[in-house]
Amino acid sequence: MAITDISHRQKFLADGNAYLPHIAVIEKIIDETPDTRTFHFNFKDEKLRREFTFASGQFGEYSVFGVGEATFCISSSPTRPDHLEFCVKRVGSVTNALHRLGEGAEIGFRGPFGNSFPLDYLKGRNLVFVAGGIGLAPLRSLIWNAIDNRQDYGKIDIIYGARSAADLCFKYDLDAWEKDATVNMTTTIDRQDKAWSGRVGFVPAVLEQVGPSAAGAAAIVCGPPVMIRFTFPVLEKLGFSPEQMITTLEKRMKCGIGKCGRCNIGDIYVCRDGPVFSFAQIKGFISGEY
Amino acid sequence: MKKIKKQELARLLQQWQADYTVLAPSRATEVAAMAEWDGKDIGFLEWYRNTVIPPKEVILPNMEELFRFQKEGAGYRLTAAAPEAKQLVFGIRPCDARALAIIDLVFQDTYPDDYYLSRRQNTLLVGLGCTRPCDSCFCTSMGVSPGESGDVDLMCTDTGDELMIEGITAKGKELLEKTGGLAEASPEDGSRRQEAIEQARQRITRHLDTGGIAEKLQRSFEDKEFWERIAAKCITCGVCTFLCPTCYCFDINDEKTAAGGGARFRNWDSCSFAAYTRMPAENPREQKWQRVRQKVCHKYEFYPRLFNIIACTGCGRCIRLCPVNWDITETLKSVPAPTTT
Repeated sequence: MAITDISHRQKFLADGNAYLPHIAVIEKIIDETPDTRTFHFNFKDEKLRREFTFASGQFGEYSVFGVGEATFCISSSPTRPDHLEFCVKRVGSVTNALHRLGEGAEIGFRGPFGNSFPLDYLKGRNLVFVAGGIGLAPLRSLIWNAIDNRQDYGKIDIIYGARSAADLCFKYDLDAWEKDATVNMTTTIDRQDKAWSGRVGFVPAVLEQVGPSAAGAAAIVCGPPVMIRFTFPVLEKLGFSPEQMITTLEKRMKCGIGKCGRCNIGDIYVCRDGPVFSFAQIKGFISGEY
Repeated sequence: MKKIKKQELARLLQQWQADYTVLAPSRATEVAAMAEWDGKDIGFLEWYRNTVIPPKEVILPNMEELFRFQKEGAGYRLTAAAPEAKQLVFGIRPCDARALAIIDLVFQDTYPDDYYLSRRQNTLLVGLGCTRPCDSCFCTSMGVSPGESGDVDLMCTDTGDELMIEGITAKGKELLEKTGGLAEASPEDGSRRQEAIEQARQRITRHLDTGGIAEKLQRSFEDKEFWERIAAKCITCGVCTFLCPTCYCFDINDEKTAAGGGARFRNWDSCSFAAYTRMPAENPREQKWQRVRQKVCHKYEFYPRLFNIIACTGCGRCIRLCPVNWDITETLKSVPAPTTT
């Protein structure tokens, strides 16, 4: 690998300073699960609010001033530019601080950073989305993006699962996709649950049962690492080539711009060269550290 | 080329103090580092071999403010840290000057790092060739000559009683032009200087063959036994990374002060620590051998792949300051050679 030119991504830096956040205002908070919330936000600066653009798959560095910064993908679709969204599971100090915020609170945002889902490659294909838990967040940006440009894509399959019915995120989206006749939606939970009358089973197994065809398709996979590792072999069995399998990788990040050093996998920096990779790329990584 | 008697160095540095904050080797904190010069003491010419804390600290401080935030009503006002005044570092060694040229590549890449780059821009480097390298130095194996440097603005060579001073960059030449009290060096001075450079080179006794090292490391990447053996005695103190002139990794943290104010800082961080890469559910480098492997491979395999240069200058700090005598040159010599198929 050599350093690739990503200079087109430099716009929207506050005063050209890659470390200085933009001030954003939380407009709406949605409880997804007992420990996961979606935040709708907009930039305080009106010019930025009008001009800001991003691509599905990109991420931001979000700050609670005085606590710190954390990395989340932008979970809304660029086709719905009215506001931006990100989804946060409560696990550490910054995510806990975010959960303590109310509507109207100001946060910091740096971004958009990273690459994005390869729309040019995906156009004209059947799309198979495979997601687990909060892994639906980056995919829903792309799913809405595809639905809003429905004529550009073939069949859309979505296979989504969570540990339990209570852990399913974006239930309003699941409902909408369920009702959408152009989308084949499959929702599953890991173990039988009184509150659940739907399908039960782990995502990779359910994917195999649904059995989408690999011909002219692309699979976009996001979820816990263990789900991703078990999903690739199923896709292979269904005939998907490594080029047809796309995922986003998650690593601890701080700077978001390829400098602070921690998100590398060999000579790949996930923040700079990713977070979206094809399985063909991942297989070529020097290290199994993904 | 100009020259000055060594005992007159204080007068020269005083002259430069008019326009720059002058930093020079100092033992004021008992750990030798580049620190603001006190205006008189040139005793470092006697004791100074190299600093313990690498001069990268002058450009990338171990703790640096990025911006301040202040709560105002329901909102926040942010104020970015302003660039600092012009500074001049006297006495940087060729290995450490090369190190800055190496890490420039990261800070220049795509998203220019204004904090690093503006400090770099505002800093004039005056190199001082080595006369007494350490046993742990292996700079000549890393393409660095201990007596000369193209990575500084001005280069000084100690010829015994005098310092030869050569302008390297336009900025350095300009400063040399307007600096008073210097004598013109003669052709004889030139040969004395050449001799000193040659002697310094000969005093480097540690050598390392880096030919094909990236390929060897790549082939040994999954050799867990090898890396476990290499990492066995490491106590993951992080000294070899904090005190490495080419280690640039950092963390970003907030600090709150009174009444809703505070600042965001960046601090040196290290791949030696498990927390560096730890995520809620997983850690790709939880094991010590994985972290030692990362450190070695980053410098000798990944960095060259990205920037065509090994991120090591042979300064030897990681060897002489390691509490358990871990030796990077021994590690690199023991990487299994590729098996021919």
